Amino acid sequence: MKFNRILTVAAIAVSGIFIASCSRQVTRVSTDQTIDVSGNWNNSDARMAADELTGKILGANWIDTHLNEHQGKRPVVIVGFVQNKSHEHIDAETFLTDIESSFIQSQKVRLVQGGKKRDELRAEKADQQTNATVSSMKKFGLENGADYILQGSINSIVDSHKRQKVVYYQVNLELTNIQTNEVVWIGEKKIAKYVKN
Amino acid sequence: MIGLMLLGGLFSGAVKAQETASLVADQNPRYMESQAKYIRIADTLNSLHGVTIQNTYKAYDWYEAKLERRRQNRAWRHEERMNGYYDYSPSWGLYGGYSYSPFLNYGWGNRWGGYYGGRWGGRTSIGIGFGW
Repeated sequence: MKFNRILTVAAIAVSGIFIASCSRQVTRVSTDQTIDVSGNWNNSDARMAADELTGKILGANWIDTHLNEHQGKRPVVIVGFVQNKSHEHIDAETFLTDIESSFIQSQKVRLVQGGKKRDELRAEKADQQTNATVSSMKKFGLENGADYILQGSINSIVDSHKRQKVVYYQVNLELTNIQTNEVVWIGEKKIAKYVKN
Repeated sequence: MIGLMLLGGLFSGAVKAQETASLVADQNPRYMESQAKYIRIADTLNSLHGVTIQNTYKAYDWYEAKLERRRQNRAWRHEERMNGYYDYSPSWGLYGGYSYSPFLNYGWGNRWGGYYGGRWGGRTSIGIGFGW
C-alpha cells in the first residue's frame, strides 16, 4: 500500500517534470542585449549598424558645408532605396528608421517623406480638395523638395568549411546631392561573425 | 500657304526662344529631353523610396547543405511510404535486398499485393530473385 503511494507520487512528479520540460518558455530580454542563436543577421547587427551610421552621418561635415552654401538653411533629405545583395533576407528599415529618427531629434537635418507614404499623403490631399473645408484644405505644389537622397546597399561574403563559417556583412550608405549628383557622404558598417555548428 | 509656314516658323522660333530664355547659367539646353524621359518612369522608380530591394543570393554552407540533404531524404522516404513502397533495404542485405519472401520472389516475378501486409507494393521485378 505504502509502496503504491510512493509510486503514484513519483509518477506525478516525473510527469510534471516531463510536461514542464516540453512546454515553451518565453522570456523578455533587453533590446540592447546581444543574443546570437543561429549566427544570422539579427537585431544586434541592425542596432550596431544604426548606431555607427547615425554617429557618422550626423558628425560628418556635409551639414556644415550645406549650411554655409545655403545661408543657414538646413538640408532636406529623402530616403531612397537600399539594395540587399547579401545571402540573407535583411530589411534595412530596421536601422534606417533609427537614422531618420536621429535626423529629426538632432534638428540638424530635415526629412521628407518618399515612396508609398508620399503617395498616401498626396491621395489624402486629393481627397481634401473635394471634402475638406476651404480653410483647412491643403494645397498641391507646396511640398519641400529634397536636397539629398540617402541610398544604400548590403553585401555579404560567406566562407564555410564543414561546421565552421565566417560571415562578413558590409552595409553601405551614400548621401547624394540631387541637383548635382555629387556624393557628399559615404558611411559603412562592417560586421564579421565566426559561426561554429 | 506661305502665311501658314511663316506662322509655324514664328511659333517654333518663339518656343525655342522661350526655352533658351528659361535656362539658368551653364544649364544643358537639351535638358527637356531627359526631363521628358524621366517624367514617364518617375512613379515607378519613386515607389521604391525607403524600400529594401531583396536581391539576395544563396551562399554555399557545408553544414546547411548537409541538413538540407537530410531533410530532402526524409521527405523522399515519406513520399515513398505514402506511395506504398516499403522496400528500401540495401541490395546486399540478409534477405536479398528486396523481399524476404522466397515464395513471392520466385516464379511469378512480381512482388506486389497485400498478401504479406504491404511490405512491398506497386513494383514489378523481372526474372528470379535470390530471396533467401
